[in-house]
Amino acid sequence: MKIFLFAALLGATGIAAAQVTDQDLRKGPDQNWLTYIGDYAAHRFSPLDRINRANVARLSPKWVRHIDTQADLETTPLVYRGVMYVTNSNEVYALDAVTGREIWRYTATGVRRRGVNRGAAMFGDSVYFETSDCHLIALRRGNGGFLWDRDFAGGDRAYSCTGAPLVVKDKIIVGVASSGKACFIAALSANTGEEVWRFRTIPKQGEPGSSTWGQFPLDWGGAPAWTTGTWDPDLNLLYWVTGNPWPDFGGDRPGDNLYSDCVLALDPDNGKLKWYFQFVPHDTHDWDANETPVLLDADFGGRARKLLVQANRDGFYYILDRTNGEFLLARPFVKQLNWAKGIDAKGRPIVVPNMDPSPGGIRVCPSVHGGTNYWAPSVNVSLGLFYVVALEECETYYSSAQQPVPNSGFRGTGHTSIPSEPGEFFLRALDVKTGKLRWEYPMPGPTTMWAGTVATAGGLIFTADDSGDLVALNAETGADLWHFYMGSNLKASPMAFAVDGQEYITMAAGSNIFTFGLPAQ
Amino acid sequence: MRTGFTLTAFAVLSAQLLPGQLGRTGPPSAANPLARDQAAVEAGQKQFQQLCTGCHGRSGQGGQGEGQGPDLVNSWEVRRASDTELMNWIHNGVKGTAMPAFALPQEQIRQLAAFVRSLNAPANSVPVPGNAANGEALFYGKGGCGTCHMIRGRGGYLGPDLSNAGLAHRVSELRTAIVNPAALSTSGYKPILLAGGVRGIVKNETNWSMQVIDETGQIHLLHGAEMNSARLQPGSWMPADYARRLAPNQIDDIVAFLSRQAVRAEAEADRRSPRPAQREQN
Repeated sequence: MKIFLFAALLGATGIAAAQVTDQDLRKGPDQNWLTYIGDYAAHRFSPLDRINRANVARLSPKWVRHIDTQADLETTPLVYRGVMYVTNSNEVYALDAVTGREIWRYTATGVRRRGVNRGAAMFGDSVYFETSDCHLIALRRGNGGFLWDRDFAGGDRAYSCTGAPLVVKDKIIVGVASSGKACFIAALSANTGEEVWRFRTIPKQGEPGSSTWGQFPLDWGGAPAWTTGTWDPDLNLLYWVTGNPWPDFGGDRPGDNLYSDCVLALDPDNGKLKWYFQFVPHDTHDWDANETPVLLDADFGGRARKLLVQANRDGFYYILDRTNGEFLLARPFVKQLNWAKGIDAKGRPIVVPNMDPSPGGIRVCPSVHGGTNYWAPSVNVSLGLFYVVALEECETYYSSAQQPVPNSGFRGTGHTSIPSEPGEFFLRALDVKTGKLRWEYPMPGPTTMWAGTVATAGGLIFTADDSGDLVALNAETGADLWHFYMGSNLKASPMAFAVDGQEYITMAAGSNIFTFGLPAQ
Repeated sequence: MRTGFTLTAFAVLSAQLLPGQLGRTGPPSAANPLARDQAAVEAGQKQFQQLCTGCHGRSGQGGQGEGQGPDLVNSWEVRRASDTELMNWIHNGVKGTAMPAFALPQEQIRQLAAFVRSLNAPANSVPVPGNAANGEALFYGKGGCGTCHMIRGRGGYLGPDLSNAGLAHRVSELRTAIVNPAALSTSGYKPILLAGGVRGIVKNETNWSMQVIDETGQIHLLHGAEMNSARLQPGSWMPADYARRLAPNQIDDIVAFLSRQAVRAEAEADRRSPRPAQREQN
């Protein structure tokens, strides 16, 4: 009984669980990795250098954790103080990051959908994740205890959610996707989940931008917000990207179809739109702009500027001034690009005529998968390089006379691959300030691997090639230094963390989480 | 602080059911207007004792030996059945089985169906005796349950989170967990004392590592020799004496309180009209 009395006294004075603070999140990755995008600028650059060019050839698997119910994990794990937080569809796992052993698991019940999930968010002593039917669930980080569940899409079955939420100060930013319904971005209170603001990605009748749809019903227009954005704390601007207008491949929606295929600069305190930039006005090829909007400070045109760069699904690498959305530069990062002759001085594509989907089919490059996609890019600022997984591929796009029916799965017909023109993946290193190709690493394969990247201070870039290998490349030259066959489909992005001074690389592969480290000394 | 032992009071509810398993059971439909009626459940129980226990066992968990009736408490068929189907099975028997027809008045059929439903349904969808408000006071007060169990962020770390207890468990399971915790698995909740006498639970254990959550919510990852600093304890942190320590009505009150704890109860009910699973890529 004495033991119990002592324990009770100690419990009463126990140290409260460590809090993940705003400062921790702003700092970016160190031994921890606290957000899906790594840091608010989305460089996905780890300062860890224990694993480096000199020793990466000795990198070995440390553990593999199987996730029972998922075929193609897309999660980027978070790590905080030696614990890894992994999401699956409607599930979160807390794993011992050194051994892969399970500490707790939370499975949401009563969820109406299953889909992929790209990751969790962390703030205070809570872990947040989105269910496939667009509830934000808050859990106690220590034990996975349920705190609250906020149905931020109001139970509307037209919406689905796959993204990782983003913590901005005291709010959690989320976005929804649909197939035939106007989408939105919302900020919820980190404490209670209550909605603080909501920005509709398609304006209502009479609002600015509403005239860019002709007579098309504005409630149908799509413009999903299914990936995670970035935030500039100094400018206090939130950058969130939107997807294609619906129907994906056409339909009677004359005009630019705002705010589809845009980067939106929002005030994170109230959701007010500060500026927007539309990459593909009146998109008819499903070229979502949902690729990561990366934030960089660099000299451009002879003066220091705050830049936003994005390798877009339409095949161009864009540079914008992120203070005001001014277009600065665009350059193709794929060779297979036939839909536009270029981008004009205002940032508008110089479109090649007659490239819309047609009843007989039209060959267009990039393919519907895009020059790139949600596959996370990364940046090594000291080398001045932007790393992007690029897909060289064309497809035949078809149209149909069928009338669109929202939320029915109808996309305005579609696209087929061209058997005589198989696609090919490359990891490309672009000059961040010009978009010019510095080097490329070819990745032959069946074009089924949709992986992202992570850069490290060890002079390395990790990505997954199209034949199923996790590879480590020399960040300066693209020379391959190490590879490991993961044995399944790769649709996630690798990340780096450290525990007790030892650096690890983790990546989800198929239904497994793989973690690598150096052999014990 | 009188004794540490009082403070250790909590109920271990093992994860015997797969997550979401009971999510397929919703509240009874309008077909049986007595389905949520506590008096009808009790009347049904009396009839069940007279008519049904011979085959289905005293507690409804199935008879012993060949030709005996199935376990109704854990039956997927019963769980999936509509109230109309359930009442038809009782009234008309089940063809091809030993289940006979019971030509009883409709009122009695409804009472029996209400009782069978209560055996099988999650606690939050059936009438539960007891006062939930008193139960909450006991849970966080004299009962000491909240020292180790958490509900929506309030409570301790040494026992399972009970935020969804009313959907994840049947009434009988909630009651058993309190009065006879030795009947339940302690997997994931084995007691351990960490350095300094801090209490914890072992979430996972191998020959090379151990993952422990302590009573303050700290996670301890013990690797190799670090495991020697912790001592596994026998049994469970859950006291075994609640049946003596609390009056029957107090246990009813706690069960009533727990039966109200449900996450997404509306969505659970909604699942009774299943739609094809939708898979989203973006």
